[in-house]
Amino acid sequence: MKQNGLICNKVKNTLIQAATCFRKDQKEAYNNAINKETNPRAKWVMENLLENAIAAELNKRPLCDDTGIPHLFLEIGKNKQVDGELLESIYKGVAEGLRELPGRPMAIKGDTVQRLDQSGGLDTDPGALMPAPIVIKPIVEEELRLHILMQGGGPEIRGKTYRVFHQHKLSVIIDEIVSWALQEAGKLGCTPCVPAIGIGRSHFEAASLMIEAMVHGDFSKQSELEREITLRVNESNVGPLGLGGQTTALATFLRVGPQRASGVRIVCLRLCCCMEPRVASVSL
Amino acid sequence: MVTTLKTIYTPITEDMVKDLEVGEMIMISGYIYTGRDAVLPKVVSLIKNNKLQQSGIELNGSVIFHTAVSPAGVGPTSSNKYEIESNIPTLSEAGVKLHLGKGSISKDTIASLNKYNSVYAVIPPVTALLSSKIKSQAVAAFPEEGMEALHLLEVDDFPAIIAVAHGKSIY
Repeated sequence: MKQNGLICNKVKNTLIQAATCFRKDQKEAYNNAINKETNPRAKWVMENLLENAIAAELNKRPLCDDTGIPHLFLEIGKNKQVDGELLESIYKGVAEGLRELPGRPMAIKGDTVQRLDQSGGLDTDPGALMPAPIVIKPIVEEELRLHILMQGGGPEIRGKTYRVFHQHKLSVIIDEIVSWALQEAGKLGCTPCVPAIGIGRSHFEAASLMIEAMVHGDFSKQSELEREITLRVNESNVGPLGLGGQTTALATFLRVGPQRASGVRIVCLRLCCCMEPRVASVSL
Repeated sequence: MVTTLKTIYTPITEDMVKDLEVGEMIMISGYIYTGRDAVLPKVVSLIKNNKLQQSGIELNGSVIFHTAVSPAGVGPTSSNKYEIESNIPTLSEAGVKLHLGKGSISKDTIASLNKYNSVYAVIPPVTALLSSKIKSQAVAAFPEEGMEALHLLEVDDFPAIIAVAHGKSIY
């Protein structure tokens, strides 16, 4: 029981960290973008975003009023075990974290129809918000590591999971991703964005790879493909908050999984907003 | 970068609006209303039924910030959502001088803002920063809407950029 309380507390603190703190590489990415940006309005918006991150971390306040839906990514070493009790402690920690944050009360009450048309009202308890289904993945390290992401609504509206016929050319897939990103970046509102991309064999696999890309993506370590996508999105001149400028995307996080022996690639693209990825990790 | 920003104190006069230009970075101080999809149609219904005065809502020279007010704080929602944008003309005619939100708005809305000498500004989604600039908050009307009720905030130096003014748009 004591062990479960410890895990619950770790999960609670990790959720609060994810919702209130920019990562070190994220802050550096903003500083670099501010220094390079020549549009004064774009520069001013990003200075405000960075100042907000500093205030959020200092005062332990949410970065954004849309505190997001918790998404859990659990990595398990070979000799580590996960049982129902552990999962219960994790879910309890999530609820406590949402209450202490405090998260925006966003749980929709009611039966199937009421949850769809939102006629049952909202639960006033921030902790009533259920996390999305947990993703579990084996790792080489002897560790049980939990990553918590807080996923805002705007990027979900602008996200897309769809098929691309690759025609045996990488450029066809990348062109399609850039085209989708350009269609949505201007409508996102909260730019600069971070395109998070998963490419797999099914819609589920692509979405879970996209989540993995958000967990492990690094603003300071960009692959050639990631750099290309960022560069091409930035040519749009959408800029921060859509007000123009060179910084439409701060970086790109791409994860490519196993692929199907056919002409199709399933691509999941989520344009993370200017506060995201909101992610923090803990060893349980 | 050292930039001197114009501070706009509410209530906003007709002349103050005339001085605002697209692309101008401003600070907003004073009392402002908040409202979004759920409550703005209800406010407009009061206007159309001549019940605004008895509701105690004072729209002359006012600012409406498109946000909910939750324990997590405040932050702009997209102003081009139908239930927000479609009510901007009536609210402007009733005296709202500055609509505060995010995202581009239509040509028709831009024209209606010009007609009623009102402007649209965008605010960065800086919830933690904004929380430190709210001096007081209270529900002004429609408490049944919870965090989406019409709230009255007293704020100090909310940052914003004029996105639409005098028939011109930054988008």
